[in-house]
Amino acid sequence: MSKCWAIAFAVVWIFRQQDPRQIVEEAQKRTTSQSQRYEGTLQVVDAKNKITEKRWQYERLGSYGSSKSVLRFTAPAEVKGVALLVINHTDRASDQWMWTPAINRERRIALQDRSTRFFGTDFSFEDLEERDTDQFEYKLIGEEPVDGSACWKVQSTPRQSKVSQYTHSYVWIHKNNFALAQIENYSKDQLVRRAHYTDIRNDQGIWTAHKIDMHDLKRNSHTILTIEKLQYNVPMKDDAFSLQALRRES
Amino acid sequence: MMLLRLLSWPYLRRHLLRWILTLAGIVLGVAVFVAMHTANRSIFHAFDTTVDQIAGSTQLQVSAGEFGFDESILERVQAVPEVGVAVPVIEATVETKILGQGSMLVLGIDMTGDRSLRDYELKDADDAIIDDPLVFLAQPDSLMVTKEFAERNKLEVNSKIPLLTINGEKEFTVRGVMSSAGMAQAFGGNLAVMDIYAAQQELGRGRRFDRIDIRSKDDVTLEQCQAAIKAALGPTFEVEAPSARGRHFEGLLRSYSAAMSISSLFALIVGMFIIYNSFAIAVTHRRAEIGILRALGATRSQIQRLFILESVTAGLVGSAIGAGVGILMASAITSYMSTILEQTTGFAQRVNEVVFDPKLIAAGIAIGIATSVFAAWIPARSASRVDPVQALQKGKYQVLSAGENRRRRWMALIVCLVSIGCLFLSYSKLFFYAGYVLMIAAGLLLAPALTLLLSKILRPILKRLLPAEGTLAADSLVQAPRRTSATVSALMLSLAMVVGFGGFAHSFYTALDEWMDNALNPDFFVSASANLVARTITFPAEMSPVIQNVPGVDQVQLVRNARVSFRNVPVMVIAVETEKLAKTVHRTPVAGTSAEMNRLTGAGQGLVVSDTFAEIHKMRMGDTVELPSPSGLLRLPIVGIVRDFSDMQGSVFIDRSVYTKWWKDDTANVARVYVKNGEDVGTVRQRVIDALAGRHRLLVLTNREVREWIIKLLDQWFALTYDQIAVAILVAVLGIVNTLTVSITDRRRELGVMQAVGGLRNQIRRTIWIEAVSIGVIGLVLGTGLGAINLYYSLGMVKRDLGGLDLAYIFPVAFVFVMVPTILAAAFVAAIGPAESVIRRSLVEALEYE
Repeated sequence: MSKCWAIAFAVVWIFRQQDPRQIVEEAQKRTTSQSQRYEGTLQVVDAKNKITEKRWQYERLGSYGSSKSVLRFTAPAEVKGVALLVINHTDRASDQWMWTPAINRERRIALQDRSTRFFGTDFSFEDLEERDTDQFEYKLIGEEPVDGSACWKVQSTPRQSKVSQYTHSYVWIHKNNFALAQIENYSKDQLVRRAHYTDIRNDQGIWTAHKIDMHDLKRNSHTILTIEKLQYNVPMKDDAFSLQALRRES
Repeated sequence: MMLLRLLSWPYLRRHLLRWILTLAGIVLGVAVFVAMHTANRSIFHAFDTTVDQIAGSTQLQVSAGEFGFDESILERVQAVPEVGVAVPVIEATVETKILGQGSMLVLGIDMTGDRSLRDYELKDADDAIIDDPLVFLAQPDSLMVTKEFAERNKLEVNSKIPLLTINGEKEFTVRGVMSSAGMAQAFGGNLAVMDIYAAQQELGRGRRFDRIDIRSKDDVTLEQCQAAIKAALGPTFEVEAPSARGRHFEGLLRSYSAAMSISSLFALIVGMFIIYNSFAIAVTHRRAEIGILRALGATRSQIQRLFILESVTAGLVGSAIGAGVGILMASAITSYMSTILEQTTGFAQRVNEVVFDPKLIAAGIAIGIATSVFAAWIPARSASRVDPVQALQKGKYQVLSAGENRRRRWMALIVCLVSIGCLFLSYSKLFFYAGYVLMIAAGLLLAPALTLLLSKILRPILKRLLPAEGTLAADSLVQAPRRTSATVSALMLSLAMVVGFGGFAHSFYTALDEWMDNALNPDFFVSASANLVARTITFPAEMSPVIQNVPGVDQVQLVRNARVSFRNVPVMVIAVETEKLAKTVHRTPVAGTSAEMNRLTGAGQGLVVSDTFAEIHKMRMGDTVELPSPSGLLRLPIVGIVRDFSDMQGSVFIDRSVYTKWWKDDTANVARVYVKNGEDVGTVRQRVIDALAGRHRLLVLTNREVREWIIKLLDQWFALTYDQIAVAILVAVLGIVNTLTVSITDRRRELGVMQAVGGLRNQIRRTIWIEAVSIGVIGLVLGTGLGAINLYYSLGMVKRDLGGLDLAYIFPVAFVFVMVPTILAAAFVAAIGPAESVIRRSLVEALEYE
């Protein structure tokens, strides 16, 4: 009897694992934390291999769907203090504001502008948003290794309600730890951006990629985001994630 | 064609000089027409091109007049589901401190989303520093310039450009160079792009935008998108295609375009009389030839066709040369006009390209030919009716028959009566203009008879002054009035135009002077721009107490003015501090009383309009004016109509409190400053300059400077018209040369006999001179008379169709006094050549003539 139960459990587990929505949700669940803080380095490598570097400090409070985050540039000097405040909502697109200390004012990043490049990098504003699984349809394409590691390949297609520049994306998720391995974003049938997640480490029980290489295939340029000094579940105040706080701290 | 070759060509070769002079009339007329219209088109084209180039793929633009609107409107527009992309824009012309570069068009845009609408086509798009929006946004001194501008001024990325902003002269850093395509071509390449929020600070916009550029979603039609935005914003916002801005610009220039068309038309009419004169003379000269042809069997229509063909040829050659000259003139006129327009309307236009429209040039040539044919029609018809027997009798034709003279007088009387009748019905546009045309026609019909009459009056005077030469000259005029009358008519028309324009200018200057005395009476003005019509840069209201606290300052009045669209016409809304204004300004009321209109306007219960506004929009006291504002339609009744010259499209005065409430804006363009009694204006002015130093870049202009600037502006505005008048007079003077040349040829034998019987060369010379000056005198008398009538109609036309200005009729006596020596001197100069040619001619040849 117990053997039967064990077989039945294994079958359910296998099926459960192969439900693409469950895979994605599990991947999100495993990276859930109360808060996150890191220092990031952005290296933009253009088509002529010229490299420009920016540094930022990132703080997030809350988890998927209802998180708030602040990304504050720390270098070079020309952009120091410029900040991006993102407030995610479960039922609608996030609100985003940019704070420019030199003119002491904020600007709202309109929904229509989310497809544009994120301040000269190869990320778009949309790429910085959290993905609400309810806004996408998922389809398991199969298994495909990335960097020699077994991964699930899941196709995600935005639902009609979701405004996206991408018609569909392919997401590779490591089978061993549910960490993201790669995302390919398509516009119609053309691959426009590819994010490659490497240097995956276990930080406080959360498997996190410390290096994300976003490749803009149209521009033939790529941006490497290197994450340092990563901390999860750091105590943070809610009121630090507001426009007033940005003004105060500028 | 054979007749043309066998008869016309040899005649032309014999009288080449005269034909050149005849053609000069057409050349000048067509040249002025082509040059003026080409300049006009070039400016419109430059404006449209700039709008198109700046618009990029913008399909619709949301605006609320020149005042702009609060930036919160952007989110309302972006929330409209039909809107694909909506980006805010600030547009201003800013002076550069780079030598020789003048002003540049600065476009404040939001780089985070604007690339969806405009392709900036960076010169080196792969360069991360250039193409780094984050640095661009983070540094408020960031500027993108065009490749042309950068090359012209040897600028590179990170070079500095000094610009005069509201915060003073400030150095901006070039952080991008746009390639030479698309938007970068706008404003002749003198274009810079800056971050919109930096532009708000540097250009004194507060938290306002000038407009929002929109592209609809792919699956939505433009009309659907437009309707949806209108529904979301209400009727106070204009939601139009970018091309609609061209219509507004056109509206501003309508009166100037119309004035130019009228003066080039006058030049052509004057030219027409010269042609008529030349052909009439040619027919007289060739009457024997025509008689022989008729005797040999040539039909009347063949003779008529011959002369018509000659006129077509003359018209074609003259027009082609005129078109060429016009093209050469167009560039200079375009540049001159664009400068005037920038200074008068506040619309800066850099016209780098003169647009030659083949249709316009063809139209100019066609008008030249048509004028020539029309002018030659009557002489050609006369030629076809030549009696072969009469044709051999010398001088017969030049005498105006009594019957013909009587017939003309009757016709003139009838035309004159009809014209006076039209005057009673002049409330109708049709009757007004019909009356005008008929009155001019009556003048022209009477010209030959009056020429004869005046010649006869002059005879005894001339005889007394110089018995021999005076009598001979007067007799020449009396014996051949037909020869003289066309030239006199041309001169009369030119002078009528001079008196009309001169009178209008004089009336305008007088009214303006009175207005400046009444309204422009502060001791000095504080403005963000040396050019008071430039409204693109404003300053905050906090400047008022700063100035007020300066020792010696009695009162500060803030003024904010900008154009808004009223019934699709741009009108100037002027927000003033009514209570303060009432104590210092005494505007001339056209309707209502000053006290009541000030009380109601100050209380926000009404508005005051200029007489031009009332006239253009046919509005009266008590009528409600609906002004679009960002807070909705502001509806206020007219509580007063005043004489005002602030704007030619009409002005509307509201109280500043109403403006700040409805437009949610407390900025100002100008501060009117009054100095306390007994204080030295210069000293107080310097104190104000010192108080403002380091705060905002504000200029302190004295009352005299502002008045001189306005007068200079007006002088420039009228200068082009004066140039056209000069052309018309030149054409008329050419007519005098022509007439004298013919007169000399006609009297070659007579003058030869005079010399043979002992007439001195000086006597011959003086005879010709006196004849020319007499033509000038007759032209002056008739021109002044017709000019007095023309002035009446010109003022009516100005009031009715060119700006609604109700100007008093003031006859330009000084103008006429200036014209007397000018015309007489011109007539004298015109006589020098023909006179010298007579006395140097062989006596034998002269006696053999005919």
